[in-house]
Amino acid sequence: MQFGFTYHRPASVIELCELLNRYGAKCKILAGGTDLIVDIRAGLKKYDYIVDIKNIPELNELSFSKQKGLSIGAAVTCSQLIEDSTAQKKYHLLCECAETIASYPLRNRATIVGNIVNASPCADTAPGLLCLDAQVLIKSSSGEKTIALKDFFEGVKKVKLAPNEFVSKIIVPPASAEAKGAYMKLKRIKGHDLSLVSVAMAVIKKNIIRVAIASAAPTPVILPDFSKNTKVDEIINVALKTVKPIDDIRSSKDYRLHMIGVYIKRLYEQLIK
Amino acid sequence: MFENIDPKELKYVGKGLKRIDGIEKATGDALYVSDMFLHGMLHAKVKASPFASARIKKIDTSRAEKLPGVRAILTGADLNYRVGLYIVDKYILAKDIVRHQGEAVAAVAADTEEIAKAAVDLIEVEYEELEPVLDPLKAIQTDAPLVHPDLGKYSYVEAAFTPVPGTNIANHTKLRKGDIEKGFKEADYIFEREYSNPSVQHVPMETHVSIAQWQAGDKITIWSSAQSPFTVRNLFCYSFGISHKNVRVIVPYVGGGFGGKAGIALEPLVACLSKKAGGKPVKLQATREEEFNLLACRSALVYKIKTGVKKDGKIIAQRMEMFWDSGAYADYAVNVTRASGYSAAGPYEIPNAWLDAYTIYTNKVYGTAYRGFGHVEFFWGLERHMDYIADKLKIDPLKFRLINTLKPGSRTITGELIHENSGNVSKCLETVAKAINYGVKTKEEEKREKQNKTIISKAVCALHKAPAMPPFTGTVVIIKMNEDGSVIANLALTDYGAGTYTSIAQIIAEQLRIPFEKVKIAFECDTDRDPYDWQTVASKGLMLSGNAAILACKDMLEKMYDMAAQILRANPCDLRHNDEKVYIVHDPHKFVRYREMAVGYAYSNGNGIGGPLVGVGRYTACGLTNLDKETGQGNPALDWTYGAHGVVIEIDPETGEFSVIHSASAFDAGKVINAAAARGQCVGGFIQGLGTAICEGYIYNSKGQLMNPSFTDNKIPTAKDIPEKMEVFFVETPQLDGPYGARGIGEHSMISVAPAIGNALKNALGIELLRMPIRSEDVWRELSKKRKAK
Repeated sequence: MQFGFTYHRPASVIELCELLNRYGAKCKILAGGTDLIVDIRAGLKKYDYIVDIKNIPELNELSFSKQKGLSIGAAVTCSQLIEDSTAQKKYHLLCECAETIASYPLRNRATIVGNIVNASPCADTAPGLLCLDAQVLIKSSSGEKTIALKDFFEGVKKVKLAPNEFVSKIIVPPASAEAKGAYMKLKRIKGHDLSLVSVAMAVIKKNIIRVAIASAAPTPVILPDFSKNTKVDEIINVALKTVKPIDDIRSSKDYRLHMIGVYIKRLYEQLIK
Repeated sequence: MFENIDPKELKYVGKGLKRIDGIEKATGDALYVSDMFLHGMLHAKVKASPFASARIKKIDTSRAEKLPGVRAILTGADLNYRVGLYIVDKYILAKDIVRHQGEAVAAVAADTEEIAKAAVDLIEVEYEELEPVLDPLKAIQTDAPLVHPDLGKYSYVEAAFTPVPGTNIANHTKLRKGDIEKGFKEADYIFEREYSNPSVQHVPMETHVSIAQWQAGDKITIWSSAQSPFTVRNLFCYSFGISHKNVRVIVPYVGGGFGGKAGIALEPLVACLSKKAGGKPVKLQATREEEFNLLACRSALVYKIKTGVKKDGKIIAQRMEMFWDSGAYADYAVNVTRASGYSAAGPYEIPNAWLDAYTIYTNKVYGTAYRGFGHVEFFWGLERHMDYIADKLKIDPLKFRLINTLKPGSRTITGELIHENSGNVSKCLETVAKAINYGVKTKEEEKREKQNKTIISKAVCALHKAPAMPPFTGTVVIIKMNEDGSVIANLALTDYGAGTYTSIAQIIAEQLRIPFEKVKIAFECDTDRDPYDWQTVASKGLMLSGNAAILACKDMLEKMYDMAAQILRANPCDLRHNDEKVYIVHDPHKFVRYREMAVGYAYSNGNGIGGPLVGVGRYTACGLTNLDKETGQGNPALDWTYGAHGVVIEIDPETGEFSVIHSASAFDAGKVINAAAARGQCVGGFIQGLGTAICEGYIYNSKGQLMNPSFTDNKIPTAKDIPEKMEVFFVETPQLDGPYGARGIGEHSMISVAPAIGNALKNALGIELLRMPIRSEDVWRELSKKRKAK
């Protein structure tokens, strides 16, 4: 059948790893499904097996500790994060990014990890997570490893993940807690829209400025750290040299470049001046 | 039928009563065709052309036929029927040639939707790609390839349209008033500019969906999400040569249409699949993506206006050229061309006018009716042009408009005389200007500018529109009284969201003097059971069907009076009615209750008189004419509804982003029948107008393929885009042939939103945007150009 796939709903990580080992590239993990199901329906993707991870307790965990920071399990939805008072207090920038994703009903399903694994250049949580130095915990039957989010993206819709691996959680380190930050996103309407270009800025430990940009290159990009007394023009210069926006039906390259400059200036005024 | 009744004496008319369909829609009880499932029903899918223009060399359905569960497969070769509203130019499935990307070349009916889709994927089509005709201005050049080489052979409505065989011109509408050359000679200044806008999709909440069953003896039943059941039936019967009595069209609740469901769409294809499948019912519902390029859209327009004015601001001559991009088929686009042609100068008096309006075939998605019927598109140019002239003359744009507005004694460009009861556009303009504090910036606005580092700007624009319909358009309402004295009204005007039925229920309650709760309007329309109505389009529903409802009540009352005269032994002229009773005027305690007469009156000994009560009201537009084909002169308008929009916008000059923070709209509604529904229409229309203005529109690549056939890249406004403050005002200059003096307002609310925003941007930034939509990037780009030029 056209949409035909076998649906699995493992109850543990061990079971999940077994399924991934067995089916490899023939299977796809389903969490929120807000991209996956749309793509399957449109005939853009086809899988023999769909593995739903929402029934695995540890992947639904959203927790914070002073030692480990914020841990966002692979099945944690955007709304769960946004409504979590600790996340709001300690990682406000990330919540602000998550609040701009799609619409309220979609945020109730879409997951933070899904937003990252999907690896769209316009992923809204990516700039925030990059600024906050997020780490990705990857698991498989042969063990687990942690890599920095900035090294996880490989290209448009491509991440460093083998067919037998899955992202178990995203960890936002304690060093980034309480960071001041904000996110600015250009849209065509005020309601839900993909970012035409967006910029997140954070001030880490009160002395490092971090800037990350989405929809301006094949992957979301993070600029090198700036010290707090860096002039805004210098940041803009580095940003414009780092990004490689394109012309498409959503926006032109010129306008994207212009708006990156405007957003960095405004974020700088808001957070640093 | 305007009756000069003191509003204080009206019990229901004019009040903001709750919609009669509110509960079933809020609870989900209302049944739509999307919800329907019939026993043994098959599901259909279509195979769409990936090319804008191509020759079909071969279609191989053999693999699809072998798929279990497939019950019928059709290709263009199987169907030799053409369909068309005004020009019969479209095959049910493309035959030999495809004329736009997304056009159906084959269709499958199967046991499930999934099997149908899988079968469609197994159909192999071999195409020879042809050079598409995409630019309407190039399409009318003599060497352009022809989209319809057989145009000369098609049948068409000759009274209204003029196709030009051997060209891509599906219709050429002409209008000549006065002496244009003399007018331009007498002008002190001449201003000329060109404005354009793209095609736009209606995006109704319920996508197009039809179920059809073609049974033995060519007895056909169609359930459809359609605006006009009788037009579906008529066009269907015309195409297939089947008697009207054999075809039954049923329209239950409809989830929005905005003109996109005005004519005929999926019905013929679904019926043919049912026939091929041996008479099983077949259902086809368009996906959201198919709404964009299998179904029709709003036509794109290029509008060239050349205006001659005197120093004092009086327009003396105007030459107008409209190039309507009809896409692959003429559908409604030819009538959009005609109707916007006779309306093209707006609510202004132009002594010398010249218009050429062309409907041009191209290899793009075909154009159909869309709320405003051409007026949203051409008013974008016209009202931008009015500000352009005012600016050049250094006259305030509002003042410039007021100098030129149609007033009693003016003649429209078709020569129609405007009188005291035609409506008052000047008053609409003045009302919105006052509401937005036009011409000044308030203290709060200045404070806001400073706080937000923004610029606040204002503009007002006028609008008008008359229904586009055959001059003899008529309708019927039938009212039946029940045993308890409640009534049920049947009419085939549909209520696909506008709230017209509630207004008609108010009119019936008012006329019969019964409680509003005792009136039911049967929501499901059925051509076998309901009396005729032409179409639910053109903002004419309330006026024509409202009049028919009044006449139906009068007819029923006459029958009740006849009966009551016998029962009460009175002269009918001495009878009156109120509180569900007919009584003797000079002896009110002698009365007979409606319910006693509802199914005929029975005397105590069992004798009966009268018979069950039915009221029939027939109404036909009065005094309208076809327009002269050479001069465009004549009387096309049932009524002119005038209006105006005022906007206050806030602009971020650094990014080009802007938003409407305050809107004021005023319409001369003649008489508001339902205050809440009228406001709802006006608020909704403004937001739809905002979508057209800021973000909607088809984007094609150089091969004629649609780049944004979904909500991903064809955005529509959301709740967050609604202006902070929206005001709606009604001027009430009674329409003498309107029910209680009412006119239609359904489409008008979205007409001049875009130019008002364009003009406000011009006023604040000095930038001249001539193409819709106005995206923030466009504002930024024009501003950058201006800064560089300095």
